Amino acid sequence: MLLRVLASQILTCEVKLMAAKLAKTGEERGKGAFVPAGRRGEHYAGLPDDSDHGIVNAHAVQTIMAEPEALFDLWSEVKLYPLWQEHVISVERTRTEADGNVTHWVMGDPSEPHGKRIEFDSKTVEDRANMKISWRSITNSLQQSGYVTFVATESGRGTLVTLIQRINVPGGTVGNAVVATAKRSPRQTVIEDLRHFKQLAETGEIPSVEGQPHGPRGISGGIKRWMYGETIPTPPGSSKAA
Amino acid sequence: MKAVCWMGTHSMEVHQVPDPVILNPHDAIVKITRTAVCGSDLHLYDGYIPTMESGDIVGHEFMGIVEEVGRDVKKIKRGDRVVVPFTIACGKCTFCHSDLWSLCDNSNPNAHVAEAMYGYTGSALFGYSHIYGGYAGGQAQYARVPFADVGPLKIENDLPDEKVLFLSDIFPTGYQAAENAGIQHGDTVVVWGCGPVGLFSIASAYMLGAVKVIAIDRIPERLRLAREYCGATTVDYSDDDVTIVEALRDLTGGIGPDRCIDAVGMEAHSATLVGMYDKVKQALMLETDRPFVLRQAIQSIRKGGTLSIPGVYGGVLDKVNFGAAFGKGIEMKMGQTHMMRYMQPLLERIERGEIDPSFLISHRVGIEEVPDMYKVFRDKQDECTKVVIDPWQDRIAA
Repeated sequence: MLLRVLASQILTCEVKLMAAKLAKTGEERGKGAFVPAGRRGEHYAGLPDDSDHGIVNAHAVQTIMAEPEALFDLWSEVKLYPLWQEHVISVERTRTEADGNVTHWVMGDPSEPHGKRIEFDSKTVEDRANMKISWRSITNSLQQSGYVTFVATESGRGTLVTLIQRINVPGGTVGNAVVATAKRSPRQTVIEDLRHFKQLAETGEIPSVEGQPHGPRGISGGIKRWMYGETIPTPPGSSKAA
Repeated sequence: MKAVCWMGTHSMEVHQVPDPVILNPHDAIVKITRTAVCGSDLHLYDGYIPTMESGDIVGHEFMGIVEEVGRDVKKIKRGDRVVVPFTIACGKCTFCHSDLWSLCDNSNPNAHVAEAMYGYTGSALFGYSHIYGGYAGGQAQYARVPFADVGPLKIENDLPDEKVLFLSDIFPTGYQAAENAGIQHGDTVVVWGCGPVGLFSIASAYMLGAVKVIAIDRIPERLRLAREYCGATTVDYSDDDVTIVEALRDLTGGIGPDRCIDAVGMEAHSATLVGMYDKVKQALMLETDRPFVLRQAIQSIRKGGTLSIPGVYGGVLDKVNFGAAFGKGIEMKMGQTHMMRYMQPLLERIERGEIDPSFLISHRVGIEEVPDMYKVFRDKQDECTKVVIDPWQDRIAA
């Protein structure tokens, strides 16, 4: 009996020693055994994702097979935004101020040359090479702010890209105003934009079925095309020179 | 060009449509020399696949001659003879890099529809609804092939089209089914369904070391093909004297089959944004035999066996005996075929004369005959096992 207690105590001691070795970080000891070296537990509390009083908070996350540097460079080319962001007609860098670059945006449906357009100015508020870019609009027609981060993954799967956007359209609910031009909810647009960025960065093009042949569509066609989002022009990616 | 278009449930029509053009830098245009009707096209015909749109060009098994390539295409050129796989993969994403080509991240332009249904999207497919990308299919005279450096397999021998056409889907799909079953030398394998994929699964199971393959169907012609061309022991499930679970126990010395392959799948494709659940139930009642395959396989398989599922499932299944699956500690593996893994090695098997896939062709037709063939194929009339199409002929005299 005594032997058995002794044996179990020895065993317990060994386990503790092993845990301590694994945990390494002194202050973690006692909280939980077997914490791998250099690791801390984390709690996920959610990324911004809600809409209230015409303000939409949205996020998108993608792991992209490329180096953070290459992705940062691609994102920094504001002139190329119309190639991969939905409903962007043009983006021009208009001036450089002491605290950041100012860009002028024209948004609308590129497939409708005389369609509705929204114009606004935006300013870079943070520009940390290869890591983070953040911005906010400085005119009232479309108030939006956001940031994108680039973090190399440990899994060898490339770079974790996180896009956070906050959008506010004055003079009406955001749903009505933006859906009227974008035909897609602003939250989904954020997801699609980052998806297009990934497609372009990984493959050099944005897959599309626009312009392929089909037979007669009939009555239900239009409704379905709207449902699947196929009425939204796919950004051209690199196809213009195809 | 002429193309076979889905115009609604039980309605396929041949229409004159514009020729496809290069839309993206990695595209190619292929002039199609041979194409085929796949068993899974019958799910479209029967209206079980959501997100079809009238006017969609169908077909995903095709081959032909490269007519034109986009500016970034490097590996194929005009004049090359190619077989085109039914899945579309970018070759660059983490899934393609992991040899999981049918799970490509980038090829589906309608990824958000698939994400709403499945959480994530798989690769896009040719001619197989908008949830799978909305790409125009290959039952036509020409097709646009995206990511043309990744998918198309160049054929540099003089084998006739009919011998290599099935590298576009059903041969690799049958082979992957056998590979997914984890067959070890000496195993007994059961294949439900002796359609084209089932028949290729039987042949592949023997290639991978099975000593005995048992094949289940009810169509005499298909059971004959399974016996005579693939060397299977056949069981007719519609035979009144036969119960499948018992038959499989009898045929495996009371142990049960080591590996099971469900090459039937479920007509009841569903799953959707708006309550497709009822539609599934409805389909279950319409197609009384079909939902039994998965349950039957789970019930019949030996303890610790492997169940491989090449048959297509789309939605939410009712009353699957998951307890039996757990209780017997079985493994399950399934999914669309990772085509690019298998096309080259299987081509080499054909070149070496180990298999001639053309054995299962029962019908050769011109494009105008295709709409009628859907019904013939679905109802297994006229001993129909596989329909091959020459899209440049209107009709081929019988």
